[in-house]
Amino acid sequence: MAAVTLSHVGKSYGAVGVLHGVSVDIADGEFVILVGQSGCGKSTLLRMIAGLESVTSGDISIGDRVINDLPPKDRDIAMVFQNYALYPHMTVRKNMEFGLKLRGTPRAEINEKVAHASAILGLESLMERLPRELSGGQRQRVAMGRAIVRDPQVFLFDEPLSNLDAKLRVHMRTEIKALHQRLGATVIYVTHDQIEAMTMADKIVVMHDGRIAQQGAPLDIYDRPANLFVAQFIGSPSMNILDGQFAGDGSAVFITDKGVHILLANVPAENAGRPAKIGIRPEHIMLNDSGIAARVIVTEPTGSETQLTLDVDGHELVVLIRDRVDYKPNDVLKIGLAQNHIHAFDADSGSRLTL
Amino acid sequence: MSAATRRRMMRFASQLGTLFCAALLVSPALFFFLWMISLSLKLEIDNGAYPPIFIPTHIAWKNYSGVFASNNFFLYFWNSIVVTGTATLLALIVGVPAGYGIARMKASKSAIVIMIARMTPGLSYLIPMFLIFQWLGLLGTLAPQIIIHLVVTVPIVIWVMIGYFETTPLELEEAAMIDGANRWQIFSQVTLPIARPGIVVSLILSVIFSWNNFIFGVVLAGRDTRTLPVAVYNMLSFEQVSWGPLAAAALVVTFPVLVLTIVAQRQIVAGLTAGAVKGG
Ligand SMILES: Nc1ncnc2c1ncn2[C@@H]1O[C@H](COP(=O)(O)OP(=O)(O)OP(=O)(O)O)[C@@H](O)[C@H]1O
Ligand SMILES: [Mg+2]
Repeated sequence: MAAVTLSHVGKSYGAVGVLHGVSVDIADGEFVILVGQSGCGKSTLLRMIAGLESVTSGDISIGDRVINDLPPKDRDIAMVFQNYALYPHMTVRKNMEFGLKLRGTPRAEINEKVAHASAILGLESLMERLPRELSGGQRQRVAMGRAIVRDPQVFLFDEPLSNLDAKLRVHMRTEIKALHQRLGATVIYVTHDQIEAMTMADKIVVMHDGRIAQQGAPLDIYDRPANLFVAQFIGSPSMNILDGQFAGDGSAVFITDKGVHILLANVPAENAGRPAKIGIRPEHIMLNDSGIAARVIVTEPTGSETQLTLDVDGHELVVLIRDRVDYKPNDVLKIGLAQNHIHAFDADSGSRLTL
Repeated sequence: MSAATRRRMMRFASQLGTLFCAALLVSPALFFFLWMISLSLKLEIDNGAYPPIFIPTHIAWKNYSGVFASNNFFLYFWNSIVVTGTATLLALIVGVPAGYGIARMKASKSAIVIMIARMTPGLSYLIPMFLIFQWLGLLGTLAPQIIIHLVVTVPIVIWVMIGYFETTPLELEEAAMIDGANRWQIFSQVTLPIARPGIVVSLILSVIFSWNNFIFGVVLAGRDTRTLPVAVYNMLSFEQVSWGPLAAAALVVTFPVLVLTIVAQRQIVAGLTAGAVKGG
């Protein structure tokens, strides 16, 4: 087990910069998730840690060694690929043994480790099968088994669940989490599924265009997004954002570009009249008879809750309601916003403003 | 007519169509092949008969026994085996790693150079090569033919293998790299076993082209170093044209290739990489 430190890591392909000064401290045994939109450089960063891509600038350390120039096999890492990358001509057992054999591990030890890993993953009855004779979820487990037997300091996962159906994905999510708790290894895990990120991570690193947009504990990021990008990226359905400006007279009011007045808990004096965007999550808007009038556009019941899309003087707001409600399109209702859950962001830079 | 029956009829019709097209495509080859078999089994009088006789009343086995009895048949057969075998083996030893390198380095330029070498008519370098072999004093041996056959076999192997290696997922090699394999171990333990169908295909093609090659042998072979096609050709020119024995000889020449193809085709199992990567 070991800590992983990325300090000012950069990567470019020729003139094209893909990563710019990424710094992350990953503690020993921590489960860190890299999230971000497609193409933001998550896989590239992971592959650089694995040693499959060269490091253009900055340093990557595992434990207290800088490993920039070490080949993958000397880094003591294991990686689970998005496509599993099982050796198609080897049985499950051979797949799992391969890495140990290459390292000249004694036969008895190989057998013991493979037996142990296959027991953890429930693969015992599949050991003599070829990968093509397995289901997607089973292949996924074999890929994990191949990583586990190696007993590495760091596990790297690149979107390991993205090929599974929704139900299996939830199941494997729990299994991976349990596995992490059991092995206590350091895990770096890439996904663009932010639910995976929220539920599994000790720490989330949100990436945007090759930079870190924010890093921190899942709930901290959810509750206090550092900028507009994170605010909109984390959370599903995503946060409602309204353009406008703070009232010029110093009162705690935000006036949207369509003229809706929204009461806030507090606005620091220096922000009076400042153009800004405010954000509120769908679950922080509730029905309130003395609130703002809104017209129903769409009602989407999910069973446990109801998602409403509302029109408020030309603003489209998404609202999540725990109760069963039965509104029809064009019904008019009144809503209120939970004042202390309103976020504000600078209109230009998108960075968070204190309220 | 119910939907199910109609669907079944549609499927039947489409199968029939496929069968018909396949039959149409192979019929010329099949026809000549059957005609050759017929020729090889007929007495000489029947071969000249009009209207032509397809199934003879008297089977002329002696056409075949004549082939084997004719002087030096087994020597020529052995020559063919040595030339084709060595040329193919060397082509695999050189061509498989070369194909791998070209595929992995995306060296399409060298691939094109090899293609050009393949397309250049063999005759154009046959004469210079003849002089070189003469100068080296190799002409009485099989070496010149083996070397010149490489011109045919190496590009075939490289080309087939480039295609195979390009379809092998790079992630498999990366996984092996992380598992601790060095370049050679990756190649020999992961890439090569996966590319086995490709190796079999290139082996068969290489054998077929080398075995059937005629022009190199005509120029380079001496009396004792003839390969089978050349030997058959000599039958044609030195005796009067007797179709029966000629057809029999030609069939005997074709036979080993036929057997090899049938045996090896079991090896060409499609989708050996299935299960390696999702959807792969
Ligand atoms: N070999 C390469 N040459 C040039 N650009 C590359 C290369 N590999 C990746 N890139 C670029 O680097 C950027 C980051 O790619 P990367 O694969 O890390 O994205 P990602 O965050 O993993 O996205 P996804 O969620 O789609 O997997 C992309 O814009 C991609 O086009
Ligand atoms: Mg990726």
